[in-house]
Amino acid sequence: MKIRYRRIEGRSKEYYIFMAVSGAVALMAPLSAYILFLKGHNITGMNNQVPWGMPIVMAVYLIGASAGSLVLSALSSVFGKSEYKPFSRSASLLAIILIVAALMAIIMDWGRPDRVLVPFFHFQPRSMFSLNAILYNSYMVIGFLYLLAQFKENEKWTKILGLAAVFIAIGVHSGTGAIFGFVYVRELYNSPLLAPSFIAAALSSGTAMMIIVLHITFKATGRKLDDELIYSLAKLMGVFILVVAYFIFIENATRSYAPKNYEAASFLLLHGGKYTAYFWLGLIFMGLLVPALIVFNKSTSRSVKWVLAASWMQLIGVLFERYIIVIPAQIVPIEFFPDKEIVSSSFLDGQYGHYSVSPIEWMFSLGLIGVVVFGYGLAIRLWPMLPTEAVYTDPAKLKLESEPENLEPGEAKDEKTTTPAPGEVTS
Amino acid sequence: MSFDRRDFLALGTAMAAGTVFGPISAALSHTGGDERGEAGGDAKDHRASAKNSWGMVIDINKCETGCTVCVDACKKENNIPEFHDPLLDIHWIRKLTFKQKGVPNAEERSMPAMCFHCEHPPCAHVCPVAATFVRKDGIVLVDKHRCIGCRYCMIACPYKARSFVSKHVEPKPGDNPDVPVRMHGVVEKCTLCVHRIDGGLEPACVEACKKKGNGAMMFGDFADPESGISKQARTSKASQIRPDLGCNPRVFYMGV
Repeated sequence: MKIRYRRIEGRSKEYYIFMAVSGAVALMAPLSAYILFLKGHNITGMNNQVPWGMPIVMAVYLIGASAGSLVLSALSSVFGKSEYKPFSRSASLLAIILIVAALMAIIMDWGRPDRVLVPFFHFQPRSMFSLNAILYNSYMVIGFLYLLAQFKENEKWTKILGLAAVFIAIGVHSGTGAIFGFVYVRELYNSPLLAPSFIAAALSSGTAMMIIVLHITFKATGRKLDDELIYSLAKLMGVFILVVAYFIFIENATRSYAPKNYEAASFLLLHGGKYTAYFWLGLIFMGLLVPALIVFNKSTSRSVKWVLAASWMQLIGVLFERYIIVIPAQIVPIEFFPDKEIVSSSFLDGQYGHYSVSPIEWMFSLGLIGVVVFGYGLAIRLWPMLPTEAVYTDPAKLKLESEPENLEPGEAKDEKTTTPAPGEVTS
Repeated sequence: MSFDRRDFLALGTAMAAGTVFGPISAALSHTGGDERGEAGGDAKDHRASAKNSWGMVIDINKCETGCTVCVDACKKENNIPEFHDPLLDIHWIRKLTFKQKGVPNAEERSMPAMCFHCEHPPCAHVCPVAATFVRKDGIVLVDKHRCIGCRYCMIACPYKARSFVSKHVEPKPGDNPDVPVRMHGVVEKCTLCVHRIDGGLEPACVEACKKKGNGAMMFGDFADPESGISKQARTSKASQIRPDLGCNPRVFYMGV
C-alpha cells in the first residue's frame, strides 16, 4: 500500500477562524512572559517557599508529550511497525512543536529571560538543567532532520535519524525526570523511579494526544481515518497506562514504608487537600483507571467515541501527574531539624507552603497550548504532513513501498496560487 | 525554492553541530565555575585565598529569644528591602525557635539560620550556568550578572537559604555603597559579608551580636587549627544542621 501525503487545503472559513483563534491564544504566551518580566514574579502564585509553579509543570508536560510523540513516530520507521506509518510524519512534527513550546515555557519562566544565551556559554556538568539544555537543543535538531528524512522518503536516513531521535527522546525525558529525582533533600522528589516513570507517562500521554490529533485533523479535513488505527493505538495506550500505574505504585509504596517519610507521603496520599484530590481523582481515577477500563473492555475498546474519551482523560490525567510531581514536594516543608519541632520562624520553616495558579500563569499555560495548536495547524497547511487517507493495514499483509511518489496532477492544482512550499514536489 | 536534500541536510547538520557542540566547547573552556578566585573590584581588597576557610560557630545557649539584632544588621548592611510578605521577602538570615520533639514541656530555644556555605553546595551543583560558585576561601557566592533566575538552586538548597528577587527594587539614599546594587529576577543569599571579610572585618550579624553583648555568633578561619571557631567546633557540643545530607556546612552550632 502506498501512502500519499498532501497538505491540507486551508482555504475554508473554518480554517481561518481556527488559525486566528489559536494564533491569538498563542500570543498570550509571549505577552504573559513580557508582563512577568516587567512586573516580576510576585504577580504569580510562586514565592520563595514554592519557587516552581505552573510554567515548570507545563514545560515537563510538553516535553513528555514531545518525547512520546517521537517514539510513536519511530514505531513505523525504526521498529518496523508499518501499520503506524500514516501518522509518522505528523507525530514527529508534533514532537518538534512541543519541544519548542516546552523551551519557551522554561525560558519565559526564568527571572531573566533576557539572558537566554548565557547557558550556551556557561556550563555546569553536575547540573541536570545544564545537561538538559544540550539534550533539548540536540533533540530539536535531530527531530527536525528525522522529519526531513521522512519527507525525502529516504528509508536509510529515516531509520538512522529515527533511532537517534528515539535514544535522545529517552535521554531528554529521563533527564527531565532527573531534574526532580536527583533533588535529595525533598522526599517527594528524590526517587530513581522518576526518570523511567516520566518516560512511561510520556508514552501514554503521547499516544493519547496522537489519537485525539488524528481524529480531529482527519475529521476536519474530511479525510478517511481507519477506525482500526485508532483501536490499535488505544491498545498501545492501555499498555503504557499500566506501566505508569506500576511505577506510581512502586514509588509511593517504597516512599510510604519509611517512617521518616510518613509526613510527606501522607500529605500526598491522605491529607494534602487539593493535592490529594488531584492524585486520586485527577491522576489515578481519571487518568489511569477509567481509560484503562475503557481500552481493555471489549465493547468500549471498539468505539471511537469511547476511545476518544479515554484519550482525553489520560491526556488531562498526565497533566495532573506532572502537577503533583512538581508542586507538593515544595509544599511539604523541608526537614531542617528532623528531631526537633520548629515553633516559629520568620521564613516559615516547618510550615506547609501555599501555591495556587495565578491568572498570569493560566494565561502563560494556555498560551503555550495555543502555540502548539497554531504551529501544528500552520505546518499541516504548509507541508504535506498528513496522508490523504489513513488505513490500518494488518501488519502481516503489509507491503513496504519506499519510492517517492509525485502528487497527482489533480491534487496539485489546488495549491497553484500559493508559493510552492518545500516538500511539495515529493511525497 | 526546491526542497533539496543536500541543502537541508547541510543546514540541519550545521544547526545540529552548533547546538550540540556549542555548549560542549563552552564546557571545555568554562567548567571551572566552582573555582573562581578573586573577589574583584578594589585593588586594596584582600584576594580570596585557599589558605583561609571562613566559617562560623553559633552558640545557641547565648542566643536570645526574640532578639533580632543579627537580622536587622544584615538588612542594613546588605540593603535588604522589606516587602512585608514573608513569602516574597528576601531572607539572608532568619531567626527561628524550636523545641525537642515528643517531650512534654520542652524548652523553647532560639537560633539564627543563614546560608551555611557548604563544602558540597547542592545549589552550586544544580546551577545550570555555574552562577553559584565556591570561592577559594569557601564562601559560596552568586554571580548576579550570570544568574538566569531559573530557581533550581532554591529547590535544591536544604537550608532555605536562598531568596528570589521577585520585585524591582530601586536603590535608595542611605544604602550601603559597599554592596552591589540589587537586581530583580535573580536568586540571592547570604554572602557571609564577603565585602567586609575582604576588608578584614567580621560579618555584620556577628558584629551586631557581639555589640549587643550576647556573643552567640563567632566568625573565624577553620584553616587555622588554633582559631576560636576551630577550637569550639571540635568539642562534643558542636554539630551541623542535617549532617546526614553530606553537604558539610561551614556553620556549626553549639548546644542544639
